Amino acid sequence: MWTISKLTFKEMISKRIFIITIVMTLIFLALYGTAIYFAGKDTPGGGANMIQGPELILMQQFVASQLLGVGLYFSSFIIALLAILSSVTSISGEISSHQIDTWLMRPISRAQFVMGKFVGLSLLMISYAVGLFFSITALHQGIGSEWMELDISLIQMLKAVSVFVIQPFVLISFGLLVSTRMTTLNAGIVSIVLYGAAFIGGFIEQFGSLAEKTTLVNIGIIMSLIFPVDSIYRKMTVLLFDTTDNPLSFAQGGMFTSISTPSNLMVWYALLYGVLIVLFTIYRFNKRDV
Amino acid sequence: MNVIQTKSLTKTYNGKGGISDVTLSIGEGIVYGFLGPNGSGKSTFVRTLLGLLQPTSGEGYILGEPIGTIKSREQVGYLPELFRYPEWLTGKQLLQSHAELCKIPVRSRNKRIEEVIELVGMTGRENGKISGFSKGMSQRIGLACAILNDPKVVFLDEPTSALDPIGRKDVRDLMVYLRDQGKTVFLNSHLLYEVESVCDHVSIVHQGDMIVQGPWRELLMTETKVEVVTDLPIGTNLPAFVTQYQKVNEELTRTRWEIQLENESDIPKIIQYLSTNGTAIYEVKPIIPHLEDVFLYWVNQKKENAYVDNQ
Repeated sequence: MWTISKLTFKEMISKRIFIITIVMTLIFLALYGTAIYFAGKDTPGGGANMIQGPELILMQQFVASQLLGVGLYFSSFIIALLAILSSVTSISGEISSHQIDTWLMRPISRAQFVMGKFVGLSLLMISYAVGLFFSITALHQGIGSEWMELDISLIQMLKAVSVFVIQPFVLISFGLLVSTRMTTLNAGIVSIVLYGAAFIGGFIEQFGSLAEKTTLVNIGIIMSLIFPVDSIYRKMTVLLFDTTDNPLSFAQGGMFTSISTPSNLMVWYALLYGVLIVLFTIYRFNKRDV
Repeated sequence: MNVIQTKSLTKTYNGKGGISDVTLSIGEGIVYGFLGPNGSGKSTFVRTLLGLLQPTSGEGYILGEPIGTIKSREQVGYLPELFRYPEWLTGKQLLQSHAELCKIPVRSRNKRIEEVIELVGMTGRENGKISGFSKGMSQRIGLACAILNDPKVVFLDEPTSALDPIGRKDVRDLMVYLRDQGKTVFLNSHLLYEVESVCDHVSIVHQGDMIVQGPWRELLMTETKVEVVTDLPIGTNLPAFVTQYQKVNEELTRTRWEIQLENESDIPKIIQYLSTNGTAIYEVKPIIPHLEDVFLYWVNQKKENAYVDNQ
């Protein structure tokens, strides 16, 4: 299994798309850092025209959390796309080129092959997600000046990042499942459409919470159960921003953070979802011709 | 000991294509030719034996282990017809990855890799990226992969398809070398002249059916052909054991004939018959069939039988 994991990891790193992604990520971080720097610098902490008192603090909390949220949301989007694109090609591509023949005729089981692919991709994507998460938070908290700074403890960050990495875990497991059943193109379309649906479902749920419309919230929950990606992102923002000892944390809700609070059960559900999908992938792949 | 054994092994795709009802036993230390035109089901059969395809019915064993199990693939090497290897790896890295999968001990790994690189004639080029390899080089590195784990049985699917004449000879020599080492080589090919010199036993497959199998030189023993040079026409009233005859050419006082007999023991009889009838015989030469003749004979037989069945 480790040989396959190692090969998968190395293959991803050697691909041009990965190098492009790294370069684009650095550009994104540079732009984000610049934006945060000027957002902090050009927004004075007070002044003649500024609202004073609790309103200012509420606004500061809202704007700062939204700017961190937008950075993390875009990061989550890049991670999702990379996780989908890398996983949907990993098995279907090898089947269509018959490259898989020479691996599978070796004395390894198909379960080991799938697990090898899964572990290799997960290690890479989780490392990337962790790196991106801390880069964004470090930029935000470090160069955003006092006005941008949010009261986030290390424990909060660690809790948030551990939930943040569940997203690539779920996407890779699903991507591998469709990759063993469909061609690369079809697998990519199915994964991206489902990711999009989960994305929309998340917004519907947020809107439902804001407007207090139970039906909309339920639609969002159902979508989260079908594809638990957006709810995991929302849970991550709750863990990152919400603190019991910060009475202003309610001001941090918004489009890129979370208005509703996904339960802890959702985190366990997403983990179980990923594990079950991997097991189902192995079961289905064992039976198919390659 | 049977290295490969199948009992009515069948692999079809939704009831169509593939290969049906193959029963064979292959011993050790031989080059076994699995011959047939493109699309006859040769690759399907090999891929079923290797567990890449799930059999529709029947049984198969490699070195006594049921096909599809990990154990059945432990001492097996395979060069696929559609060989594709990760282009981002170098030839040596590819071999190292396969060595890991085959669990070749670390201390002997590099030595073995160097050995196979030399055997396939890739010395000096093994550190090049596969993306830069020509088709022939890729096929050579594929051959190195196939024999890397010193397997007892090697499946080669059209192993010379991308090679030049020198490369083809190298592969033939390699097959002989493997056979001499007691390995069994299962060779899929439609290039009959290529395999004629190295194969001892063959199976002939056509349109998904195995028509015949056995030592190929014996497969045409049902009929014997001789070339005879005489001074006179041999006449029309020939004995019954002459199944067919035709004039090949005529030069002044010599006429060359091709005579088909029921079996080999009829050769002295035809000489005696011609002599007693006053025909001077200048030359008698048995026509040794090529593998292609054997192949065409059996494929035509199958077609004729199918035609009769349809009637």
